[in-house]
Amino acid sequence: MLDTFVKGDVGLPGAELEPEVRDLGRKLGRSASSSRGAKHAAYDRAMTLVAGNEELRAALFRLVDVAPACANPAELAEHLAAYLDGVEAGGLPLILGLRAAGSPRLHTATGRGAAAAVRQMAGRFIVGETIPEAVPTLREFWTQEVATTVDLLGEATVTRAEGQAYADRCDRALVDLAEAARSWPARPLLEADSAGPLPRVNLSVKVTALTPLVRPEAPERGREDARHHLLRLLRRADEVGAHLHVDMESMDSRELILDLVLDLLDRPEFADGPSVGLVLQAYLRDSEEILDRILERAAGSGRRLPLSVRVVKGAYWDHEKIEAAQNGWTPPVWTEKVETDRCFERICRRLVDAFPLVRPAFASHNLRSVAFAATYARQAGLATGDIEIQVLRGLGDELQEAIAGAGFRCRTYCPVGDMVSGMAYLVRRLLENTSNASFLASQAAGSDLDELLRRP
Amino acid sequence: MTEFRNEILLELRRSHERDRLVAALAELDAAPPVAVPVIVGGETRLDPTLASVDPGDPDRIVAAATVAEEHEVSSAVTAAAAAARGWGETSAVERAAVLSRAAGELRDRRYELAALAVRECAKPWAEADADICEAIDFLEYYAIEAVRLDAGRELIQLPGERNSISYRPRGVVAVIAPWNFPFAIATGMTAAGLATGNAVCLKPAEQSPGCALAVVEALRRAGIPEGAIALLPGEGEVGAALAAEPGVHTIAFTGSGAVGLEILRAAALPGPGQDHLKRVVAEMGGKNCIIVDADADLDDVVPAVLHSAFGFAGQKCSAASRVLAHERIAAHLQDRLRGALDTLLVGQAADFGVDVPPLIEPSAQARVERMVAEAAAAGANVERVEDVPDRGYFSAPTILADVDPDSPVIREEIFGPVVTVETVSDVGAGCDLVERQAHALTGGLFSRNPRTIAAVSRRTPVGNLYVNRGITGAMVGRQPFGGNRLSGTGAKAGGPDYLLHFVEPVVVTENTVRHGLAP
Ligand SMILES: Cc1cc2nc3c(=O)[nH]c(=O)nc-3n(C[C@H](O)[C@H](O)[C@H](O)COP(=O)(O)OP(=O)(O)OC[C@H]3O[C@@H](n4cnc5c(N)ncnc54)[C@H](O)[C@@H]3O)c2cc1C
Repeated sequence: MLDTFVKGDVGLPGAELEPEVRDLGRKLGRSASSSRGAKHAAYDRAMTLVAGNEELRAALFRLVDVAPACANPAELAEHLAAYLDGVEAGGLPLILGLRAAGSPRLHTATGRGAAAAVRQMAGRFIVGETIPEAVPTLREFWTQEVATTVDLLGEATVTRAEGQAYADRCDRALVDLAEAARSWPARPLLEADSAGPLPRVNLSVKVTALTPLVRPEAPERGREDARHHLLRLLRRADEVGAHLHVDMESMDSRELILDLVLDLLDRPEFADGPSVGLVLQAYLRDSEEILDRILERAAGSGRRLPLSVRVVKGAYWDHEKIEAAQNGWTPPVWTEKVETDRCFERICRRLVDAFPLVRPAFASHNLRSVAFAATYARQAGLATGDIEIQVLRGLGDELQEAIAGAGFRCRTYCPVGDMVSGMAYLVRRLLENTSNASFLASQAAGSDLDELLRRP
Repeated sequence: MTEFRNEILLELRRSHERDRLVAALAELDAAPPVAVPVIVGGETRLDPTLASVDPGDPDRIVAAATVAEEHEVSSAVTAAAAAARGWGETSAVERAAVLSRAAGELRDRRYELAALAVRECAKPWAEADADICEAIDFLEYYAIEAVRLDAGRELIQLPGERNSISYRPRGVVAVIAPWNFPFAIATGMTAAGLATGNAVCLKPAEQSPGCALAVVEALRRAGIPEGAIALLPGEGEVGAALAAEPGVHTIAFTGSGAVGLEILRAAALPGPGQDHLKRVVAEMGGKNCIIVDADADLDDVVPAVLHSAFGFAGQKCSAASRVLAHERIAAHLQDRLRGALDTLLVGQAADFGVDVPPLIEPSAQARVERMVAEAAAAGANVERVEDVPDRGYFSAPTILADVDPDSPVIREEIFGPVVTVETVSDVGAGCDLVERQAHALTGGLFSRNPRTIAAVSRRTPVGNLYVNRGITGAMVGRQPFGGNRLSGTGAKAGGPDYLLHFVEPVVVTENTVRHGLAP
């Protein structure tokens, strides 16, 4: 059936993939929506509501942001009332109700309710306050054929002691997770691809949490300061047989992170391990040049293990746009969503083509992007287990089940941490989830699936 | 008319930009010191005797200036008065074109000039580049604003009466500039005078004559007539003599409070043969507080305080000097600030990523060290960075706590890398402390409650309040800058009202009724 489409499609290169992409997208989409339980209905409605009202969206997200800094419910309610001051109620009973509830008389009750709501929201994205608290969830995922990567949430690192504390937490987490994972049942799809074995334990780390010395104009400062921490974590990962994945952050730290990781991997002591990964952000205009560099270095290094490369679109789009606008710079990011989506697909192809020099991981909640990557990989002759699809806990819960159900290896990014440290992460996720350009928001708003699956 | 846009800062996170700056510095270092002449009425006299050195390596002479003599100061003013007539008669549009060309001259040399500021004033690269961009901004912004002002303003018109207001140049502007923004401030005050049709005599700081020469060169190359711009290098006496000249109409001064008050006093009474009142635009010091509310995000507060207090070693009039922290978060904030102190890189301005360069001169270093020592002797809790280079005029970044409220470090401007942390019972108490100060230049507030932000905005006496960000780095056209109370005369540099200080307003009212006929 696929073949009948191939000839008929417009003669663009790569168009022959489209029918299969559409089929896979539909299949994943159907299975995701059927697993979408009633438990999220209220949340979904709320998100759709705020997505349509910029001011309300801002007010509620500010509330989430400030929640951990409020000493008591009354204080939180006071903030809520202040955030709603400027919001056009437009007859919306929700806002009128909240505003009334923000009156001094009702402060404490409102505050309690708001605090509970924020906690509940946080619980959707964060799997536990501590590693021991998170382990049962991680195990449950594993049992259901879903791999994980753990991310330790933290406040910004502004002192060396905070960098050290984060490194210590990561180190401890590697040990504790390795210990816990030993008793997990065998899951062949999650434990090897055709390039070799895959660690059960996977930790994502942020270099800017390891050092307070991130200076955009002096990447060498942060690089040198973070080096010993990252070295220690690589050694620990090697020792306990875990995978270490280095997240990418804003442009201000990109050069630092890339140089640091590529340099460390050249050390002879890491020739046979640990398994390590990097992130490539497709929203950057020069992301393909970065990919050139990564592939070149991977080919030239003496490592016998493939480097994992997680391709994402990029989580700091608004930040990059605003920073560039304030300084008068050309934004380092694409400004049309479709350019990011296209770049994501170009990178997917190149990663697949580069296997097994690198292990491709596609991190997205966009059915089109995911279906494209998987289809291209299949048609390029990779085994299903040679690629990985990654989602974020809380945003990709249904997709996770659909991906695993379709026989792919899904890895879910699982943040661990308390409310205070988790709030920046939470607000970023909420903003992303309700931004107009977001796939999930369009999907929640009821856009036609075939439209969403169309080639960017 | 063209829209004003801020000059684009170099994107220093890109290594090719950094490489270009390093190359420019190497070229500068290979050249002999900049020889700075006296320039009067288009004539130059070169006899350099006053050296300005690299504060990080005092053996390196960056520029050598010719000191203006008393008669040169007088003849500069006379020549300026003569030149002002012709310059004042050119149209605002023509003058704007000249200033815009001068901006282009600076733009063409920006890498080289950034290197010069790095060496002559020990400005770290990012700040040196920002200084040149601001100089360019002032030229472009005032050029546009002067054209706008030239069109006059709307007045109420009734039948039979025609009212108009226009703004004329005043004559001669004496500009007395500081070294801490060696390009921006000298250029800004000069550009304001020239854009409005005045002639300008510029007395640059003795620490930065090399940078000032580049500004004057740019203006002359752009076509400012001879005589309409004079360069009078020298120390304090030259500035005092210039300000005292009866032929000076406006004095634009940025610098210390003591000198500013002396200028205001001396300018108050007309000198012999002086048939006008001198106007003084003075920007003096600050004692700038950042209030931190209990709901603030300390992840943001710590870097903002560090940058505001210690960037360029605290040598900005906008720098943060006191942190007033809500008692609920004060201890935690103080811990994090102290912990972050050793993340500051103290070193040569030419090294990328340096936060705290040397102070400008030995007397500044001695002053800061003395104030810290006195505070320590009086029982303050002192946290300092341990090792700083011993070559160059370095002063270690310092956080002081438990300081006696009457201590000089609480009451006086320090102009060095020192910040005090005090605990207040709430934001209102913080505002009370701010209100008690004689200075009112910049201020900061960290709060996530819009009502608190509104209340503090209404109450604050400061000229520039920054909310949830650092308190330095005002941008032309976006944050018109200047202080109130003893901090200054309230002119807002880089704002729409600034040029009004450089002009004489004239209102013409014509009765247009003739035999009951009103057109
Ligand atoms: C497992 C996992 C790990 C991740 N790790 C990282 C990481 O290390 N670093 C990181 O930065 N991000 C990371 N992300 C986040 C990721 O970058 C995306 O922000 C997020 O997944 C949303 O993209 P999407 O493909 O799911 O959704 P989509 O809705 O298809 O895409 C949204 C994305 O498109 C881009 N975009 C939005 N508007 C525009 C526009 N006007 N012009 C151009 N582009 C636009 C933005 O990047 C936005 O996030 C990770 C995501 C996952 C799932």
